[in-house]
Amino acid sequence: MLIDKDLCHGCLACIPYCPVGAITYDEVENVSVINLDQCAECSACLRANVCPNDAIRQQELKWPRTVRSILSDVLTVCVESGISGRGTEEMKTNDVTGRFKRGYAGMAVEVGRPVVGARFYDVEKVAMAVAALGGIEFEKQNPTTSLMADPKTGKFKDDILNEFVLSAIIEFPVRLERVPEVLEALRKVSSQIDSVFSLDISTRVAPDNSLPTEKVVRDAGYWISPNGKTNLGLGRPLKEDN
Amino acid sequence: MTHTLHRRGSADSLSRDIIFLIMPSKDINHVGSHVPLKRFFQIALEEGAIKIGDCRSGNEYHQGTLDNVINNVQDRAVIHAVFDNKEKAITMMRRLKEANLGLSVVVSGLLDMVDGCCKTAGLQRHTVEHSLGVWGRVDKLPPEPILQINTMCGHGMVTVALINDVIDRIKTGGLSVERGAEELFKPCMCGIFNPKRAAELLQKIVDDERAAAKQGKQVTAKPREEFVSAW
Repeated sequence: MLIDKDLCHGCLACIPYCPVGAITYDEVENVSVINLDQCAECSACLRANVCPNDAIRQQELKWPRTVRSILSDVLTVCVESGISGRGTEEMKTNDVTGRFKRGYAGMAVEVGRPVVGARFYDVEKVAMAVAALGGIEFEKQNPTTSLMADPKTGKFKDDILNEFVLSAIIEFPVRLERVPEVLEALRKVSSQIDSVFSLDISTRVAPDNSLPTEKVVRDAGYWISPNGKTNLGLGRPLKEDN
Repeated sequence: MTHTLHRRGSADSLSRDIIFLIMPSKDINHVGSHVPLKRFFQIALEEGAIKIGDCRSGNEYHQGTLDNVINNVQDRAVIHAVFDNKEKAITMMRRLKEANLGLSVVVSGLLDMVDGCCKTAGLQRHTVEHSLGVWGRVDKLPPEPILQINTMCGHGMVTVALINDVIDRIKTGGLSVERGAEELFKPCMCGIFNPKRAAELLQKIVDDERAAAKQGKQVTAKPREEFVSAW
């Protein structure tokens, strides 16, 4: 995103709308300026529609900068998933896809969320730490997976490593008994990154209405939230368990 | 896209924060899905949703009117309705069960409460997703009260700077907490931000800061430990 300094009057109205603080005020020229290295191309400043002079402009984005928009602009529709946003249908349509079966957990590591944002150097560290466990297959429909040079190792394409995004989601299913080793790998890599990640885990509800992931996570010594998402099983045709 | 997950706060506050999402699945039931999606919006508004929104086309401010939000729904959209109490949620579940829209519905909220609502409405939950918290450089996060507002937009569009700006304007009398909460809703394109809950949280922040100022102290609440897994 750019600010046309010939049109900007330095009113500062756009500055609070940037999620990553990429817009600053240039006192000498009395204009607001976007730091392109820090800008995630999320369009929040433009969409806020607060500039009295329409000075905010979307420049043409070329690879690899397009990665920023795909993973940061809420209204960008991703080719891989076919839906807007950074992730996939994941557990939301599990009643009709059967993506996460009994005995498995769906896990997602959203690097950069909340607030901080992330460069792909850090996304790669997390993905490689998970991939190194072996037998992990990243979700093919996830846009983050499509940016990997080698999904088996979690290595990303070299030319995107410095790209900055609001968040990138590393998503994969794993057998329930392997959840503790995944959590341990994530614990170790969490101290090696310069960002944060929000972590989540999904499970098919057991026939007795219990949640198998609750016990696995607690037994491994980790905190699990009292709130979350519940798929009501109203989708049709319902995918039968097998 | 876990944009309705990772909300933070007390159980009391979260009990008034319930988000319904409905979406088709690609190549399974997406063709013609704009029809049941629109019906979902109509039912939600009849049952007292405080906000509705559409991930694909944007919220009522972005699209101009609430009618546009309803009329512009496309196949493959992911749409939402926000409710502020469990009685409304139960009624909404019953209506959705009766309507048999055929699309996947996900409810975000306190899991035990939502499970209770399901039982009352005659539904059996299918799949559940938990947050395991925030890991890594949690020292970069803002104070917990700000984070509780920020995380109501999972895409991060309700910025920390805007929240602080709104708080300043409330403190100087330039905005009511309700108007401030509505200003914070505007950047949340999916319409999942809960302005009623935000107004409560803003009021508490302003009250706490005023009380602290009277005592010559500064409010420096950092992220709460039980919501943050850090090493």
